Amino acid sequence: MKKIKAIVLLFCLTGLGFSQSIEFVKTNFPGKKDELKEAIHKLAIGTDFYAQGRSQYNDFRKAYFIEHKYFPVGHHDTRKAGYAEFRAALSPLSDAHRFNPNNAVLNYMLGFIWFSADPGSKETLRFFETAYTLNPDLNHDIAYWLAWTNQLNTQWDNALKYYNIYLTSLLPKAKMNVAFIDDVRKKIYECENGKNLSAEPERVFVENLGPNINTSYPEYGPSISTDEATIFFTSRRPNSIGGKKDETDNGYFEDVYFSEKVNGKWLPSKPLSKNVNTESHDATAGLSPDGSKLYVYRSLGNDGGDLYETVLFGMDWEEPDHMNKNINTKYHESTVSLSFDGKRLYFVSDKESGYGDADIYYSDMDINGEWGPAKNLGPEINTKYGEEGVFIHPDGTTLYFSSKGYNSMGGYDVFKSSLLDGKWQNPVNLGYPINGPDDDVFFVVSGSGNRAYFASAKSGGFGEKDLYKITFLGPEKQPLLNSQDQLLAVIDNPINNLKIENAVEVKSSKLTLLKGIVSDEKTEKPLEASVELIDNEKNVLLATFKSNSVSGKYLVTLPSGHNYGIAVKCRGYLFHSENINLPEATDYQEFTLDVEMKKMEVGNSIVLKNIFFDFDKASIRPESQNELNRLVKLLRENPAIKVEIGSHTDDIGSVEYNLQLSENRSKSVVEYLISKGIPTSRLVAKGYGETIALDKNDTEEGRQHNRRTEFKILSK
Amino acid sequence: MKLVFSFLLIACFYFGQSQDTVKVGANLSTDQLAEEDYNMGLLALKDKNYQQAAELFSKSLSAKPGFDKAHANRSVAYTHLGKYNEALWDVNLAIIANPQNPENYFNKSLIYMGMQLPDSQSIALDACLNLNHDHAEAAYYKGLLSYKSGDYEKSISYYSMAISSNRNYVFAYNDRGSAKRALGDLPGAIEDYTRATLIDSSYAFIYNNLGTAARLNKSFPKAIAAFTKALALDHTYLLALNNRGVANFDHTDFKSAQSDFELALTLDSKNSFAYNNLCSIALKTKDFKKAKDLASRSIELDPNNGPAYYNRGIAKQMLREEESCCADWKKALELGVKGAKTFINASCKEH
Repeated sequence: MKKIKAIVLLFCLTGLGFSQSIEFVKTNFPGKKDELKEAIHKLAIGTDFYAQGRSQYNDFRKAYFIEHKYFPVGHHDTRKAGYAEFRAALSPLSDAHRFNPNNAVLNYMLGFIWFSADPGSKETLRFFETAYTLNPDLNHDIAYWLAWTNQLNTQWDNALKYYNIYLTSLLPKAKMNVAFIDDVRKKIYECENGKNLSAEPERVFVENLGPNINTSYPEYGPSISTDEATIFFTSRRPNSIGGKKDETDNGYFEDVYFSEKVNGKWLPSKPLSKNVNTESHDATAGLSPDGSKLYVYRSLGNDGGDLYETVLFGMDWEEPDHMNKNINTKYHESTVSLSFDGKRLYFVSDKESGYGDADIYYSDMDINGEWGPAKNLGPEINTKYGEEGVFIHPDGTTLYFSSKGYNSMGGYDVFKSSLLDGKWQNPVNLGYPINGPDDDVFFVVSGSGNRAYFASAKSGGFGEKDLYKITFLGPEKQPLLNSQDQLLAVIDNPINNLKIENAVEVKSSKLTLLKGIVSDEKTEKPLEASVELIDNEKNVLLATFKSNSVSGKYLVTLPSGHNYGIAVKCRGYLFHSENINLPEATDYQEFTLDVEMKKMEVGNSIVLKNIFFDFDKASIRPESQNELNRLVKLLRENPAIKVEIGSHTDDIGSVEYNLQLSENRSKSVVEYLISKGIPTSRLVAKGYGETIALDKNDTEEGRQHNRRTEFKILSK
Repeated sequence: MKLVFSFLLIACFYFGQSQDTVKVGANLSTDQLAEEDYNMGLLALKDKNYQQAAELFSKSLSAKPGFDKAHANRSVAYTHLGKYNEALWDVNLAIIANPQNPENYFNKSLIYMGMQLPDSQSIALDACLNLNHDHAEAAYYKGLLSYKSGDYEKSISYYSMAISSNRNYVFAYNDRGSAKRALGDLPGAIEDYTRATLIDSSYAFIYNNLGTAARLNKSFPKAIAAFTKALALDHTYLLALNNRGVANFDHTDFKSAQSDFELALTLDSKNSFAYNNLCSIALKTKDFKKAKDLASRSIELDPNNGPAYYNRGIAKQMLREEESCCADWKKALELGVKGAKTFINASCKEH
């Protein structure tokens, strides 16, 4: 540290080297003896602090290199090493600079102080540029810092120029400088990526979420429900629980906040209750696609930072549970993302078993509903640099994450990878301006895939980091021009108005968002019911969701390419079944299905929408098995009830034929139930033919409504 | 009388669709008087005095019932007068009287064309071609019918048949070019249009077609040259002016495109297409407010201009008028602009 100070002062005061730098000597300031003396005094004080700060900074970089085998990639990696000393140096050195703004070393020191606080600022750039102009040979690394500052200002060409100057200076002693060369080559690669990606910017709208979400304090870590109706995020505001500040950075402790969107506008955000927010740090780490489970990050003692899960019960979140040892370790676990069916969890951990720094892992839920052993996503996704901010889209096949590797423009960039034939494809940089030279992380995408939410400290916000929404516009929409031709020679009025069309892929998600309210048919009171999602073709229960006990709301995401059975069940009620067939080509859609549950009372009936028969036959198709078993279970759980199985047809075919067909179908169902041990005495099979139509028979849709099997309670 | 005879010969020569020259004897019998009236009728027909012609043919027929040529030509007069039923009656009588004359069937096909009965027209043309395989016009109209029904391949074979019967059949080349264009054979279309202009360089519309085919084939300089030639033949030809603007636009010469569209507006200040095309330039230059205003003007002038709704939707999206832009794209789709569906699916909530 003393060495740094001595060298700095020597350069400032004696003007070693050839430059235009003006040194702090009498001959340069005739008649200003006292002012010079004062300036030298300030310079000495400031240099002292600077040297201490710089020494800490350099030590941190060295330690970082030893741990990671490479130098810090993003400026945040240095965790503000030497920050307090640099702050202390700022005032006296600024005073000295006012007296003599043209000293190269002084400008270099101020540049570095600003770099440590706000590396992309105009001040950082100005001081480093001045220092370099006054004396380019001042210090062998000045070109490096000037290059990095230019990189953070997206001045790619300038950054490349200075990085290359720095690289050239290292090459004569290449063997000694391997680590520095690797570092600068990575930065050169980042600038080349930045230059290429920003040359063809992505077409997006980026908009601040507004004053109901953002404040002058930091907001970050957004989590959004699939239908974009609710947002959760982390903020460090004065009204946090306990209202205390973290001494390490003088900011308020993190709390989790939420807001709901009503008529397209976000309502004023509110903190979650004390169940979730504590007096320490509580940050969002992820949200389940249906919005019923929230993941929170907490750091307590020496746990390295762990993940917790909280479940929405009615209107409030329950106390978060510490996730099991397959997820949490003594290392740092941060973000988490749940698959659409809730059976696979992706999360980030910097435990030692990875490919270097933090990696993305996944864990599958076992048969007991516990998270199983974590597996690394592998080198297709993880690099030797850090990965963060994992988000699996509800389509189940698109993974968004941030990485400092691949073709990043600097720091973390957001990438996406698609799962094809069980293999993650090469991650693709989401491009500029979504990504920039600074850290771009915590990026979540809407169910439709058309919008995303992220945090940024970009200018024009409300202060510190704010939450922003990105709307993907897709490729530029080409205008349509009107042209006219007289194509045929003999037409009296031959003007043809030819319209020419050009085609845009936003890729839209191939999934259906099913939502609605479950309520009592008569009282209309919302019900907490379980919503079972079945793959009819595979006869597999995919997932079970719960409707909210207060609002009765539920939300289910259904990727296309399956024939789904939906069974809504609630104690004391008949189950309600729906069939939703989504061919592979079905595009993103939102579908509202309110379910009115019928009490288990005599006379009540339900349509069994997931019982299927072969065409024009009474043989039951295999995909009906889940619905039939549900029926068996209901009859077993309610041994006193006697039921009628009634089948109905459309009006295609003769009356007699339809009557017979429906009767045979009812019998088939009854026979199945008997085969499962339900006494014959409790079952009545009846065929109604086409006599009780629910709809008109003049459309295919109407006929489909009319072809059905019903279940009716005769006595209990 | 010799004079009358010569005059009639000339009259018949000028009227291609009428019957052969009538012989006139020295003593004017009833038949002869009928024939004189018939010849007078021919003159009237030539002078486009269709009503007078029809009356003279009627007079002729009163004197000489069953006079097939008078029936045939009165049919022509009635066709021009739009009296298709009467025309059809007469041509049928002519056919009954002379079933081997292909021209009667050809005329009958044109009557059906006027009556917008394409199936009947086609049958009549087939009858004509059965009698005369080399009837270029009949083959041409068969091609036209196939074109209109969307059977471009068949139309090409009929146009080719017409061309093999008449190597200088300009319209057949033009229409075959259009059929090739419809099938995506742009080089073939360009070749036919070019051939047509080489046979007869006086048709501005053929240069216009040549220009569009070249534009679609991305041969922009060739397209611009063809439109310019069309405009040299007719400087008020709005189609070519507008299309040259489109070619300049596609050639990313927005300045020249703007100049063409603005000139189109000076020729016709209520040209909806020109406003929409100026809107397209504003979209390209990212002046979205201007683009929106221009598209609105275009729609005001032609509420069925689908591309204008499509473009206004793009402008509104960039101006963040999201709901309104979706309404425009939905209207564009309703008006047949299929590309709007992609935007609706991608950007509109309820689609």
